[in-house]
Amino acid sequence: MGKHHLGEFEEVVMLTVAILTNDAYGFSIIEEMEKRLNRKVSIGALQTVLRRLEKKGYLNSELGESTSVRGGKRKRFFTLTSSGKKVLEETKEQRMGLWSAVPEFVFGK
Amino acid sequence: MSSPPKYILKFFHWFCDPDYVEDIEGDLLERFEKRKENGESARWLYMIDVLKLFRPGIIRSFEGPKNLNTYGMFRNYLKTSIRNLRKNVLFSTINTVGLAIGMSVGILMILLISELKSYDQFHEKKNKIYRVTTDSKIRDSERHLTSASYFVGDQIKEQVPGVEQVLIMRPGMSADLVTKTGVVSLSGYYTTPSFFDVFSFELLKGNPQTALSDPNNVVLTETVAKKLFGDEDPIGKTLDLESTGGWQKRSINGLITGVVEDPPINSHIQFESLISFSTYDIPAIGHGWKSDYKVRPIDYQQNFVYLVLGDQTRKEEVESVISEIMAEYNSTAKEPITHLLQPLDEFVTSDSYVNRTGPMFSEQRIHVMVGLTIIVLLSACFNYTNLSLARSLRRSKEVGIRKVAGATHSQLFSQFIIEAILLSLMALVVGLGLFFFIKPGFLSLPNPSAQGHQMFTLNIRSVHLLSFVAFAIGLGTLAGLSPALFLSRLTAKIIFYDASKIKLFTGVSFRRLLTIFQFALSIGLIMCALFVHKQYQFALNYDHGYTTENIVNIKIKGDNVDLLENAYANMPEVIATSKSSMILGVGSAQLGLVTSEDKNVRTMLLQNYVDEKYFEMHDFKIIAGTGFVGSAKENAPKQIVVNEALVKALDLGTNEEAIGKIVLYRGRTRVQIVGVIKDFVNIALNVNDQDAYVFVQPTRKEQFMTLGVKIKNDQLIKTIKKLAETYGEIDPNHPFEAEFYNDQIATIYQPQKTTYTITAFLAFLAISISTLGLLGMAVFTTESRMKEISIRKVLGASMKNLSLLLSRSFLVMIIVAGLIAIPVTRYIVDDLLLNDFLYRAKISALDMLSGLLIVLLIGVMTIGWQIREATIQNPADLLRDE
Repeated sequence: MGKHHLGEFEEVVMLTVAILTNDAYGFSIIEEMEKRLNRKVSIGALQTVLRRLEKKGYLNSELGESTSVRGGKRKRFFTLTSSGKKVLEETKEQRMGLWSAVPEFVFGK
Repeated sequence: MSSPPKYILKFFHWFCDPDYVEDIEGDLLERFEKRKENGESARWLYMIDVLKLFRPGIIRSFEGPKNLNTYGMFRNYLKTSIRNLRKNVLFSTINTVGLAIGMSVGILMILLISELKSYDQFHEKKNKIYRVTTDSKIRDSERHLTSASYFVGDQIKEQVPGVEQVLIMRPGMSADLVTKTGVVSLSGYYTTPSFFDVFSFELLKGNPQTALSDPNNVVLTETVAKKLFGDEDPIGKTLDLESTGGWQKRSINGLITGVVEDPPINSHIQFESLISFSTYDIPAIGHGWKSDYKVRPIDYQQNFVYLVLGDQTRKEEVESVISEIMAEYNSTAKEPITHLLQPLDEFVTSDSYVNRTGPMFSEQRIHVMVGLTIIVLLSACFNYTNLSLARSLRRSKEVGIRKVAGATHSQLFSQFIIEAILLSLMALVVGLGLFFFIKPGFLSLPNPSAQGHQMFTLNIRSVHLLSFVAFAIGLGTLAGLSPALFLSRLTAKIIFYDASKIKLFTGVSFRRLLTIFQFALSIGLIMCALFVHKQYQFALNYDHGYTTENIVNIKIKGDNVDLLENAYANMPEVIATSKSSMILGVGSAQLGLVTSEDKNVRTMLLQNYVDEKYFEMHDFKIIAGTGFVGSAKENAPKQIVVNEALVKALDLGTNEEAIGKIVLYRGRTRVQIVGVIKDFVNIALNVNDQDAYVFVQPTRKEQFMTLGVKIKNDQLIKTIKKLAETYGEIDPNHPFEAEFYNDQIATIYQPQKTTYTITAFLAFLAISISTLGLLGMAVFTTESRMKEISIRKVLGASMKNLSLLLSRSFLVMIIVAGLIAIPVTRYIVDDLLLNDFLYRAKISALDMLSGLLIVLLIGVMTIGWQIREATIQNPADLLRDE
């Protein structure tokens, strides 16, 4: 715990990668995020975060096969590494811990 | 419209990290297609996406080995440069200090010029504001004035199309106001109501349209308003004052109608108050006020006329209409008048006019200063060039290795230029320090043409820093150009196989020439400083033809002059008193006209109203007749005392014959010559005219402006205090303004003092720089000739032989420089610097040689020190290892 700290956008990106499992590449991640979270995501913001997470070792990437769509450009698929999974779980636990510590009356239940 | 724009893609390819290009480009395309299907403006959004990709993390690294690889090289150059500079501390120091000295002056010039350029730029209509100037011919000599007649201003307003505004101003408002906290002096202009339409001085309180419309309306500056009224609102308050300026006295029952911001430092008009011009129409006591001043075209000495031209109006058009207006007057006038327009940006820098409204810093002076600065800078640059070239052999191995490793000509060139720039930037830091050191001295230099106004602040603002850096880079490039060219042209083959072919002293004659130039500059500047200083001292000690010793001149202000004079005359410390309208020899004069009795001969002359005690107190040499006898009588002709020049000008025969003759003063008053005085210095030593002069005994005491008091030599300060106290008792309404006569004379020669101070300072800089260069060269020469010296010593050369050998070329250069500098400087001093002076200080042979001798002495000391270092070495130590 402690020194690995995920930003909100980083966390969302990693979760989306997890959702998409084997089909997580730049554009599909954007589409998924825009669909689920109803927010605009620019390629620039996303790509920076992806490279950063990769550098930190939370994501792995691999170039796919060349296809006829996308002007013949290959896709770069992203997958979670084990440390990526761990950090996600840690984040989740922290959140849950915080949620459970909130007294019930705050939300008026 | 089916595909994304190509140039954007190109841009993306250029900046994107090559590892990411492919997949991101695919994503971009996919998104583009998708958006097209959805009917969004896909191309536009695509562009935005690409722009948003331009961020760290996506942008390629510029350190990448394949692309833009000069970054790495730049780092390497920087590192080598720093190492090289540190290895040769002595040479780096010499170069840095030399450049820094030059740069401090350069910084000063940049600030000075930028402040000068900012003058009057705050006026919104700055491009449309013009001043009407006057050219008139009097006695064959053309006079240019920045003033113009009220008449022409008025006519322009009525008749000239395309002129938006006309403003007429008149100086001469001057009053002393007694307040609870003391006496406040107030000066200002009479001005027409359009003042605030023409100029952009902000009116803090009051209505700009009406503030100056009615008689006795007064607008005060913020500072003065605060002094007079404190925190109270001054609007609507009355202000009674007695204005004594402009040779006349007038009572003004002022009503304060506005408060204006203090004029900024960079405004050519400086004022403390503005008074409506209609106030001036109220008749005043004293001479000079004529009710017809508004319609007389010849009344052009006292009014300043400013115009705002329309957007489409050209200055020439207005000038030609004005000349048509003046044609009628000029057709009959003896002294035809031409009016021209002067644009706003010349108000402060033009020096061709005899009167001005505000401070002046002439363009010519800037040119001279810039010229001198450039010379000093070049001299400093040259030190770097010279030393670097001389030492180039030591760098040649490095150049060889770099060439072998594949460095191109241009890469090496940039390396050496960078080195020079680095040094120059270091010098900039030192130079800034030096600048702060010289700044207060420069600001306190007397600048008489500024009319008491502190023209410059020389504060550094952030804008300037950029220009300083640019300046340093430029200077570095200039200094490094020649060594960089030379070193980068060497080929590896010559360096490694044929080192002997590199000439150690490349371009010897070129460098000699530059060194001679440096020395000549130093010699010349020393001489200039010395000559100007001599002339200054000469002027101060010159026999003016009258005594000024221990005389205090007190400004007459109130009506209690007689009371005051009596009180002073009774004081034991006072030897004598006398009154006059002008003070002789302090740079100002009053013009008059005298005609011979038969009206055949007439002459312009300078005049002075004095009392009968004046001649004795000032020890005038009366060569014929007497001074005034008794006080002026009614009905009898007034007495005058004249100088020899007047006797000649009016053809009155010998001096003795002139006594008792009647002449017509101002063309009508009959006056009688009672005495002739030996010619004396009437305006100043630097006024190239020995004019006719007349002393007139006045009938009205208002004509006296100055009370001279001659006091005993002991306890001067105490006596002055006593004079001031007595003054305060008799006239508490006006401040005591007194000055020693000798100080007043010294004041008018301040331009010479300023010239002397500046040239002396520049001479000091030039000597410092050339001495540093000389030291560098001497060190280098002796170092590289160490072995030669040792061998000569072993073979029996004496100290004297060696000294001669090593110093001969330097000494020859200094003497050649002297031969060039001495005649050139003599010419510059005689024909340019001291051109105005009718009487010159004598210059001896020693004075002529002074510059050369000083430089020679410094040179011999510098070289001698190095030679001593070289010759006291034991030759065995140096020769052993070969």
